[in-house]
Amino acid sequence: MGGIVLIDPKQEADLIYRRLSALFTAQWHCQYRIDVVNDHYGQTFNFFMDIKRQHHRERSIPLHTLRTTDLVTLERVITELRQQTQLSLNFVSFGRTRWPLSQRWIH
Amino acid sequence: MDYRHEPHGLFFMIDNKSFYASVESVARQLNPLRSVIVVMSEADNTGSGLVLAASPMAKKLFGISNVSRQYEVPDDPRILVVPPRMNLYIQENLKINKIFREYVADNDLFPYSIDESILDMTKSCRLFGKTPEEVARRIQLRIRHEMGLYTTVGIGENPVQAKLALDLQAKHDHELIGRLTYESFPEAIWPITDLTSVWSIGRRTAAHLNRLGIHSMRELAMVDPYELQAEMGLIGAQLFALAWGIDRSQLHQLRPAKEKSWSNSQVLPRDYRSQQEIEVVIREIGLQVTARMRHHHQQAGCVSLGIGFARAGEAEDGRSGFHHSCRIEPTDNAQLIAATLLRLFRQHWEGQAIRNISVGVSRLNRSQGLQLDIFQDPQRQLKNERFDRVIDELRDRFGKTAVIPASSLLPGGTMLSRAALVGGHNGGNSFD
Repeated sequence: MGGIVLIDPKQEADLIYRRLSALFTAQWHCQYRIDVVNDHYGQTFNFFMDIKRQHHRERSIPLHTLRTTDLVTLERVITELRQQTQLSLNFVSFGRTRWPLSQRWIH
Repeated sequence: MDYRHEPHGLFFMIDNKSFYASVESVARQLNPLRSVIVVMSEADNTGSGLVLAASPMAKKLFGISNVSRQYEVPDDPRILVVPPRMNLYIQENLKINKIFREYVADNDLFPYSIDESILDMTKSCRLFGKTPEEVARRIQLRIRHEMGLYTTVGIGENPVQAKLALDLQAKHDHELIGRLTYESFPEAIWPITDLTSVWSIGRRTAAHLNRLGIHSMRELAMVDPYELQAEMGLIGAQLFALAWGIDRSQLHQLRPAKEKSWSNSQVLPRDYRSQQEIEVVIREIGLQVTARMRHHHQQAGCVSLGIGFARAGEAEDGRSGFHHSCRIEPTDNAQLIAATLLRLFRQHWEGQAIRNISVGVSRLNRSQGLQLDIFQDPQRQLKNERFDRVIDELRDRFGKTAVIPASSLLPGGTMLSRAALVGGHNGGNSFD
């Protein structure tokens, strides 16, 4: 029995922001990026913090998982998140799709 | 060898290729066979970090193996390092076993480890394909399509053949399938000279066999089983059976262990030198083990303590640690057991730096009320008993850290930081 899971975009974005703030130490020669992965197998959207320091191993740290496949929900979470952080977002495995609300390309 | 009276079934041993690394790859929509991922635990007690799993490519390109240390992993930008999420791996393992249940009856499925299961396909194989290989392929594709994971299948007429087919053949096979039968066994297994590559033969056993002049599986198969048993005990007979691919275990009739015991151990986050710090941890583990035992309504008649010295401690006197046990009046009282452990520790510890502590309780029997001790205040004894029960109930209802001994807040205590770990590693984000 799946049932409808209510996802509050603000709450989810806050949680993601809290976790990423702890990881974002703003070092020199270091790229920070949020990966948003469309996980077809798990039927979830996964968030990771990707940290790339020049000449060092890349790190990818899980931030959160949204247990839904609904793009509208994801779009709302992303909109909330964008208001809190300027870090670049990298969308993985979405193909050529538009956001359902804004009708912009997902990239 | 006459195999007619040996069990002839059909067993699949299925394992996930680099399980943790593969799950992490799939979560990032990377191909598990092509990604260069290393799952690295940075729990307190792993020092700088410990590799729990490396993807096949990471192993191939950089020679990273499991249990490598962080400093052994090259600082190369092509490598993606991720923290472990033990809870996620457990969930994925449950999903995989659910798929297996569509191919065998519940009674014929035997999960063997977090990424390996034994399937007794004797009765159901023909429902799903003409040959065992075809059925194995079908299960592999199903898991690949539904979960994105690659699986390796060993097929045998008994569980040990399936395990060896998995370890020695399937892992190197293009299709990731290997098969052994009584007939093919000598040809496939006997030429092996690296004995430790064979399941159940460790470094020490291999060295023992080498001393007896046995350097290959063929030589093991040709030895006189009675002589081998006289030399090595029951293990000798077992090894001889292994060399001939014989396994008479009946998985359906799992035997309960004769003498059950409870134990916990942990590697400390650093070398401990101060008696007070060490005793805090001994007490913590003692309480933990006692709580587990009490959950099963048992009492212990024997308590044992194992101490492993730090590398620095080893050099001082040659020994690498000590292990002592002590018989006690059967009890399930945590304070008594902790007191016994501390007594053992004080008797045998000579100031060495230590890194490893294990605590065990054995000679168990059912708790049937409390046997009062004539030399102690009966009211006090009853109160102690009730105290333990209340603590247990509080922890059951509100979690392991609901009540902790104040001593765990002293320097050295590890209980709080370990409470969130699963199998000693990070369980993952708790509110995902």
